[in-house]
Amino acid sequence: MNGVRVGNRIIGADSPVTIGWENVPKVEGGPFKRLFFTWFQPAVLFSMILFWYYAPNSIAKASTAIGIGIAFRALLLALEWVNPRFKSWELTWKECVTDLFYVGLGYTILNLVDNFIGSDVLIENLLSSFDWDKLAWFTDLPLLVQAFLILFIFDFGQYWMHRGMHNWYPLWLTHSVHHYITQLNINKGAVGNPVELFLIGLGIGGLFDFLPRAALLAGAIGMSIGVYQHINVRFNTPAWWRFLFNTTEHHSLHHSLDFEATRSNYASNFIFIDRMFGTCVDGEAELLGMEGGRRMSIREQMTYPFTEGWKTMKEKFGKADDPHAVPAE
Amino acid sequence: MTGQAPSMDGERMPGISPSGDARSWMRLIDWIWTVRGELPLPAGQDTDKAFAKLEPFFREPGTSFDQAEGRLTFTKKDPLAQDKMSIYDRGELRVESQPGGGVLRYWMTSKSLLFCFLAPLLFVAFGQIIVGVGILAKPDTEQADKKKKEEKDKVRELHWIDQMLGAPAPEKPKKDEKDKKKDEGGKDRFSPTSAYVFAGLFALLYVIGRILEDRLIRRRFLRSLSGG
Repeated sequence: MNGVRVGNRIIGADSPVTIGWENVPKVEGGPFKRLFFTWFQPAVLFSMILFWYYAPNSIAKASTAIGIGIAFRALLLALEWVNPRFKSWELTWKECVTDLFYVGLGYTILNLVDNFIGSDVLIENLLSSFDWDKLAWFTDLPLLVQAFLILFIFDFGQYWMHRGMHNWYPLWLTHSVHHYITQLNINKGAVGNPVELFLIGLGIGGLFDFLPRAALLAGAIGMSIGVYQHINVRFNTPAWWRFLFNTTEHHSLHHSLDFEATRSNYASNFIFIDRMFGTCVDGEAELLGMEGGRRMSIREQMTYPFTEGWKTMKEKFGKADDPHAVPAE
Repeated sequence: MTGQAPSMDGERMPGISPSGDARSWMRLIDWIWTVRGELPLPAGQDTDKAFAKLEPFFREPGTSFDQAEGRLTFTKKDPLAQDKMSIYDRGELRVESQPGGGVLRYWMTSKSLLFCFLAPLLFVAFGQIIVGVGILAKPDTEQADKKKKEEKDKVRELHWIDQMLGAPAPEKPKKDEKDKKKDEGGKDRFSPTSAYVFAGLFALLYVIGRILEDRLIRRRFLRSLSGG
């Protein structure tokens, strides 16, 4: 396999990938279907912004956001069924159970842990220890600017954390588990070793004070952009969207079986951060995973970073048997 | 494979099913993770032909199988997500001759079904842990929440652009609401509701999976056996 040159890199030498938007297939079907899958993403994003910007205070609260989030994911599951990107990514019962198990962990035990050692709690403790206040100038900005900054600051940090995970072995051990997924579905973003799920959630947003409505707006915008990272739906995503935001195409390349392709498209929401640092590759891949597409069981996902880390330590520091030992006479 | 194959009439399978009293006890509960079934073979189809038609199911990565004496046994390790039998870990298929023609009997176990069956218990346990930790952490969080509420009581103004565009202004919490929230302390942070919702969700998924996967494998086997 020759691969395709993208900048200084050869992408697709290990496994087939599609590079360039002109080579990515379009939505097939009648005019309504094509119209729907072209404008669905922008329509949802702008509807969310309008809703959270103008919703009365009695409605603009976290419980509404959770309800909308669940209903939206249910809708996207239905879209996966109606217009799948790849048949080979079809959601099976077993995949659905596995994904929801990790979503459940996020809502329960990981959330509990975050209450004690999450970045917001740590920053809160730091600020109160030194009797510092949060950076209050944030709240004087227009709501949408506040929302964008909340998202951008988090995404910028996450870009470097994610890139670090692909470049520093101890972090990679935790993140590698997520790369064993062999297909993209709406809840696949939640799949990973709990240590990584904790690390990827770290951010410095707690340093800033902001209006609750700005936080809700940021959450809604983040959901309306980031939710498509792991989804099995074919969209005719508008060019401006693909230039600014991470898409399932970008993220499929990041999960590709091709090693070089996985070292691209690190940002969670804003792919322009990857463009800024030269790590963006436009295109898509169907064959995903590691080790030729081996699927990892939940048990292995839980233990892999530790067992693999132990193996590496033993190889590096353990006593090696001398293969050239001469038996005593 | 060597040795005499035990009879399937008693739904017993070699090497896996316990014997004696333990067997009858196990029979009461093993439907949780075991899928059994039987299918009539098309007229004139013998054991070899039937297994030849089903062989593609077992020519999948991570699957090993052994066929001898009218019996096919298989095991799977880390099957692919799209493997049509991905939920099963091991099992046996056997063709038996009956007066009306051949019958394929199968018996397969699934750790995935067992996991989904036990998942509600796990999430109920998570809920209990969250409640327990909430009780232990209450004195600390109450103080922190008090400070947070004091901060929240400050009413901030919207930027003039937002005022001009008509975004609703932040409200100062009403007195009674504030007191109510104060009584609740940090309860929301240690609410077990999500855990119980997921427990219910996995119970529902188990029922769906137990029925769906049983029917799917039956349909797939039937289609392969009757295929040209």
